[in-house]
Amino acid sequence: MQAYALLNIDREQLRPFFERVPELFEAHHNSEQQNPDGYEELLYRVYRPYNRQMLDMIDEWMGLEQRNWGIEVEREVMLMLYAIRYPDTLLLESLSDESVIDLQRLSGYLHFMKHTYTIWDEDTRQGLEKLGIMIPKTERADPFIYGAYISAIELLKNLAPFHSFMEHDVPRQRLFQAALAAYGREE
Amino acid sequence: MSPRDVVEQYEPNFLAWTEQFVEWQSRIGFDSAWLGDYQFEIKFDWDSAGDTIEFGDFEGMPKWDRRMQIPQQSVRDAIISMVSVQGDTEFGSVEQQWHLLDTAPTEYDRKSALRIMCEEQRHGWQMAYILCNYFGEHGVREAQKLIERNSSANPVRAETDRPRLLGSFNEPITHWLDFFCFTHFIDRDGKYQLKMLSTSSFKPLAASMGPMLKEESFHLGTGANGLRRIVKQGVIPISLLQKYINKWVSTGLDLFGVDESTSAQWAYVYGIKGRFDERESSEPADREHLNEESRGLYYAELKAEMKRINAARSGGELELFIPSDKFHRSVGMYHNLKYDLHGEPFEGSDEDWEAYLESTLPSAEDEAQLQEFFKEEWIQYREWKE
Repeated sequence: MQAYALLNIDREQLRPFFERVPELFEAHHNSEQQNPDGYEELLYRVYRPYNRQMLDMIDEWMGLEQRNWGIEVEREVMLMLYAIRYPDTLLLESLSDESVIDLQRLSGYLHFMKHTYTIWDEDTRQGLEKLGIMIPKTERADPFIYGAYISAIELLKNLAPFHSFMEHDVPRQRLFQAALAAYGREE
Repeated sequence: MSPRDVVEQYEPNFLAWTEQFVEWQSRIGFDSAWLGDYQFEIKFDWDSAGDTIEFGDFEGMPKWDRRMQIPQQSVRDAIISMVSVQGDTEFGSVEQQWHLLDTAPTEYDRKSALRIMCEEQRHGWQMAYILCNYFGEHGVREAQKLIERNSSANPVRAETDRPRLLGSFNEPITHWLDFFCFTHFIDRDGKYQLKMLSTSSFKPLAASMGPMLKEESFHLGTGANGLRRIVKQGVIPISLLQKYINKWVSTGLDLFGVDESTSAQWAYVYGIKGRFDERESSEPADREHLNEESRGLYYAELKAEMKRINAARSGGELELFIPSDKFHRSVGMYHNLKYDLHGEPFEGSDEDWEAYLESTLPSAEDEAQLQEFFKEEWIQYREWKE
């Protein structure tokens, strides 16, 4: 059902967005608020074996409050991060309530540890909505909602013409997510 | 015709070629097992190709979908020649680079290089498909030649092998610094060539370019980022890096071809190869200086990219720079003329000039020194993310 809905996307509606991807990306990713140097550092400083400090660094870059998780919850999240394979999201169901309530944080960890997963962000969700891709608003790590979100961004990546792409060293999921966030914020 | 196509069934001409392609891989030393589950596909983006001829003497007429629609034999020949040169570079780069896989500084670099080699082979497939499918016997013969030539830089080579058509694709890529320079400077020229063909009057050629350009952006990013990671790590001295930049920039500039090129002019007249900014430019084309104009845009882009690479330096380090476009040129109006790195005429004897080149381009001593640096952590570590 999900694949059917995505394949029936209105390509004409995407065209104005695709024309502006590099400009929108610049506006969002390279803004002071997004700290692009900090993002680049994380691309290099997050690697196996993952540890608590890496999660802290990601939290800091994302501007999130300190995690208030017990050791068991943290271990459970770490195991999920090791085991998950893109584009699977069902593994999120294995998490306990303490962590599952924070999709934005979990998506940040997934992004910096796998790159192919996209950071969950309300502006980005609204950007998708403007393109006719309706993803429900949520803060919980619902595997189906987050799954639809990453599939939609993957689809945009596949449909985009060559001039939407940039040569710089940012994962393509970040390129499109950042452009969508800027697009979603526009009046 | 759907906006985007992946061809699912091949005609016998091309099917026969794919069998020879497997033999080519084995002959040149590329182990097909390295490809893993990568599948070569023929991809067209008909949407971005456009329906009407965009420039030249046939402007405004429908783009040509088939050989028989092309009005003159000379136009057909020019298209075959362009597709052949493009395909030749794709296979040539794999022949130059595959031997580096064993010495990759990190798994991330090995997998990135492998992805590049897979995609370059796919681009070669795409060009061979166009030749076999659209240009009859003549095309089939040219497609055959794509896998008969072998880069002079390939460590696996028979005495009878003929080299690749363009100089850069016969230059040895001895180590990973060369690889990053190649992907930054030479693949960037590739981007220019692909974009110039993306507005072609021959629609299957124009429609091939979108998917190829999308893939090429990763190749350029690998080069630019590799150089940035080297600068950031600070192990290889800037003065040594500069010599490799001097070498590859002049090679890259040469790839744009001769000045006042009549073949570039004819390609423009036929509408088969436009300017790099054909769709964006509001100015009429200067048909007599097409190569110079593209080269100028490429040169400006190199300078802008170098600022980004320099931003990774630690405080107090020298700045890397793009040498003058007059330095060490083998093609064009500065061919074999003596200009220094800053574009000033070189004053001195032939011996002085040789000594100058020795001091500005990589020497055997520099290569040996580089091998010592390679024993250290010479490039910023990055993990390959599954």
